Amino acid sequence: MTRAVSRKRLITQEKIVFAIFVLLFLGFSLFLPGFLTANNVALLLQSVSVLGILSVAMGATIIAGAIDLSMVALMAMSVAWALQLVNNGMPVPLAMLIGGGSAILVGIINGVLVAYVEIPPLFATLATAACIYGFGRFGLISQDTVYLPKNLGWIAELGHGRVYGLPMPVIVFAVLAAAIALVMNYTKFGRFAYAIGDNRATARITGVPVRPVLVLQYTVSAIVAFIAGLVQATAINSMNTRITDTLLIYEVILVVVLGGIGLSGGKGGIRNVVVGTLLIGTFLNGMTIMNIQFTAQNAIKGLILLTAIAIDQVINPRDEQTSQQGDI
Amino acid sequence: MASLLEVKELTKEYRGAAAVQDISMSLESGEVHALLGENGAGKSTLTKMIAGVVDPTRGSILLDGKPVSFSSPAEALRHGIAMVFQETSLVPSLTVAQNLFLGDEKAFNRLRPLYIAAQQFLQSLNFPVDPTLNVSALGAAQRQMVEIARAVRKNARIIIFDEPTATLTPEEKQHFFELIGRLKARGCSIIFISHALEEALAISDRITVLRDGKLVVTDVTANFDRDKIIRAMVGRSLSDELYGAHAGSRKVRGYGKRVLSVQNISMGRMVRNSSFAVYAGQITGIFGLIGSGRTESAKIVAGVVKRNFFHGGVTRLADRIVRYRTPAPAVRNGVAYVTEDRKSEGIFETMSIAQSIYTGLLASAQHRTAVVSKSEMRSVAEHWTQSLSIRAISPDAPVVELSGGNQQKVVIAKALVQQPKLVIFDEPTRGVDVGAIAEIHAIINRLADEGMAVVVISSYLPEILNISDRILVSRKGRIVEEFAAGEATEEKIMYAAVH
Repeated sequence: MTRAVSRKRLITQEKIVFAIFVLLFLGFSLFLPGFLTANNVALLLQSVSVLGILSVAMGATIIAGAIDLSMVALMAMSVAWALQLVNNGMPVPLAMLIGGGSAILVGIINGVLVAYVEIPPLFATLATAACIYGFGRFGLISQDTVYLPKNLGWIAELGHGRVYGLPMPVIVFAVLAAAIALVMNYTKFGRFAYAIGDNRATARITGVPVRPVLVLQYTVSAIVAFIAGLVQATAINSMNTRITDTLLIYEVILVVVLGGIGLSGGKGGIRNVVVGTLLIGTFLNGMTIMNIQFTAQNAIKGLILLTAIAIDQVINPRDEQTSQQGDI
Repeated sequence: MASLLEVKELTKEYRGAAAVQDISMSLESGEVHALLGENGAGKSTLTKMIAGVVDPTRGSILLDGKPVSFSSPAEALRHGIAMVFQETSLVPSLTVAQNLFLGDEKAFNRLRPLYIAAQQFLQSLNFPVDPTLNVSALGAAQRQMVEIARAVRKNARIIIFDEPTATLTPEEKQHFFELIGRLKARGCSIIFISHALEEALAISDRITVLRDGKLVVTDVTANFDRDKIIRAMVGRSLSDELYGAHAGSRKVRGYGKRVLSVQNISMGRMVRNSSFAVYAGQITGIFGLIGSGRTESAKIVAGVVKRNFFHGGVTRLADRIVRYRTPAPAVRNGVAYVTEDRKSEGIFETMSIAQSIYTGLLASAQHRTAVVSKSEMRSVAEHWTQSLSIRAISPDAPVVELSGGNQQKVVIAKALVQQPKLVIFDEPTRGVDVGAIAEIHAIINRLADEGMAVVVISSYLPEILNISDRILVSRKGRIVEEFAAGEATEEKIMYAAVH
C-alpha cells in the first residue's frame, strides 16, 4: 500500500553551485595573476561580506515564504541617519539606538503590512523601500553621502578591524550566518518559519502563530540590515545613500536563489546562502581583476543564475509522483 | 469486432518501482467501466496513461484496433479521449462559457454569442448551469458539469472520471448518475475511478479491480457484490469491520462532561444561529449536505475562519467563554481541527513525517521551550507512527510520497500530538483507501474510549451511522436535529438534512 520511496537528492543545486565555486576559484588561482594572494583573498572576503550579511537575513525571510526588498534602503537610511546624528554632536550610543530603533520600527511595519494587512510581501516591502528612501532623503539626511565621524570607537572596527588577519566584516558575516543558522534549525521560531514557508494554511491550522512569526522575521531582517549598514559604512568610511539605487538588492536575491533556496519558501538553509555568497564573491572579484565592464558583469551574473537553475531542473526533474498527491 | 479501446501489457515504472504492471483491459463502446482499488493500486496512473497525461514505460494502447501513443492530453483529446480530474482544471476567474470554449476562441472573441452558444449547449446536455457565472462561484457538482460539458463538446468518445463523486453531496451524486446515463445514451464510453463501491455496483456495466499495480479481476458488474469487490481489493474481507458494526451489536457511549457548547453562532450566510454541544468520551457525528454550514461551524469553533468574517454568538469551552480569531490560541487551549482539505491545508509539502508531527507538537501548549531537539522529534515520530500504524519506510520519508490514507494519519498525528481535549475530524476518510478507513475509524473510536471529546463531520451516511454515539444534522447553517445512535437510520438523517 505504501509506495513512499525515500529519495535522497544526490546532486543538489547547492552542490552544483559549490562545485562551480571550486572550479572558478581554482581557475582564477591558476590563470589570474594576483588572485591567490593572501591580500586579495582577504579583500575578496571583505567585499562580499556586506552582500553575505544581507543575504543571510534575506535567505531566512524567503524560507518563511516572504521577501524583504526594503533591506538595502533600510541599511542605507538608518545608518546614514545614525552617522549624521553623531556628526551633529549626539552621543554615539544614543545615535545608534535611534538608528537601530528606527530600523526595528520599519521591520515591524513591514511585518504588520505583510502578516496582518496581508499585502503581498513583494509589494509591501517595495513600497516601504520607496518610503524609507524618500522620507530619509527629504526629512532626515541633508546630502547623499554621510561621512564617518571620528569618534565611533569600537563600532568603527566593524569595517576596519582585523582579528588574526581576518577582516572584521568577514567575522561579522560568519557570526551572523552561524547565529541565524542556529536559530533556523534549533529553535521553535526557525521551525515555524519553515512551516509557514512550506504551507501557510497548514501552519495556521496546526496552531503556528503565523503572524507574530512573520513580524519577528521582518524585525530580524531589519536589525541585520542595520548591522550590514554599519559594516559597509565603517569599511569605506562613509554611507552613500545612493546605494539604494543600485542593483544590490537583486544581487542579494541572486545569492539566495543561486545557493538553492527556493523562492516559494520552506526549502534550503543558511548553508545555501554561504555557498551562493562564495560563488558570487569569487566571481565579482575575478571579473574585477580581469577589468570586465560593470554592465558585462551584470549580464554574466544573470547567465549564471539561469544556468544553475537549468542544471538543477535537468538533473532533478519535478517528479511526476510528487506533483499529484494521494492516489498513484 | 475490435474493442473501442484496448490496452495491452501496459506498465509504468517510477524509478524502477512499478506503479502499474502488465495491465491488459478493454473498453467497449457505450460501456460504463468502473476501476476500483485501494489508494496506490495504480488506478490513476493507468487512466492517466490512457489519457496521455503520463507516458507508459512499456505496453501499447489500441484505439479502434489501431495502436496509438499520445504525447499530451490535448493529443488524446483529439482522438476523443478526455479525462476529468480529481482537481478540476477549470479557470476559476473565467465564466462558465469562457471555460467551455477555452482554447477555441476566435481571434475577435465577443462574449454575447459565446454565452448563447454555451447556453444552448448546456441545455442540450440538460445541465442547469448559468454560462455567465464565474466558475469560482459554482459548487463542486456544477464545476464538474462544466468539466464534463467541455469534454463532450470536444467530441470525446471516451471520458475518464477520477473520483467524480468524492466532493458531491448525495443529491448531486444522483444528478451525476443520471448524467452518466445520458452520456451512455449518446454513445460515450466511460471509465470511472471510485472509492464508493455502491456507486460502482449501481451504475457500471463492468468492473475492474486493481491491487498493487496489477489487475486482479475484471468482469461484468452483475457478477460482483460488495464483499467480493472488497476481497479483490484488499485480498481479505473488510466488510464487517467497516460498516457492518452499527447493526445493533455496538455499544453506545454515554455522555461525559460537556466540553463545548455553542450558542447561536452566525457567520454570513453559511452559519445562522447554530447551537449545539459536544461531550467528553463520546463521538458526536455531524451530518449535512455541502453548503449546510457543518464545516464552517467547526471552523468557527477552532478559530480557523479568517477574522474579517463577522461572526456572532457565544462559544463555551468547558464553561469558559472563548472566541478564537486564529487557530493558534485554540490549539493551545486544546481544540484541534483535522481538515477536510488535506492537500491545501493539511500537509507540509517539503517535510518528512517526523517533521510534520513535530511541528504539531511545537505549536501546542505541550512544548514550552524555545529550543527544539532532533532526538525529541525522533521519539515523538516513532511513537505516533507506531500508535497510528503509519506505513512508511522511515519517519524521515516525505509526507507527499505516502498514500492518501497514510497522509491522513500523519495529519491526524499532527493534531493528536497536541493532546487536545476536543478534536474535530472533518471528513476524516475522504480520499482514503478502504483498509485505511477501518484503521482511521479505529483510531477515532480509541480516542473517544480514552475520554476525549470527538466530533466527526461526514457527508457519508454509513460512516456517520457507524461511528457516532450521537448524530447532529446540519441544514442551511443550523443544527436542526439530534439523534441518538440507536434511533438513527439513513432515511431519518437524510430526511432531516434535506427538508
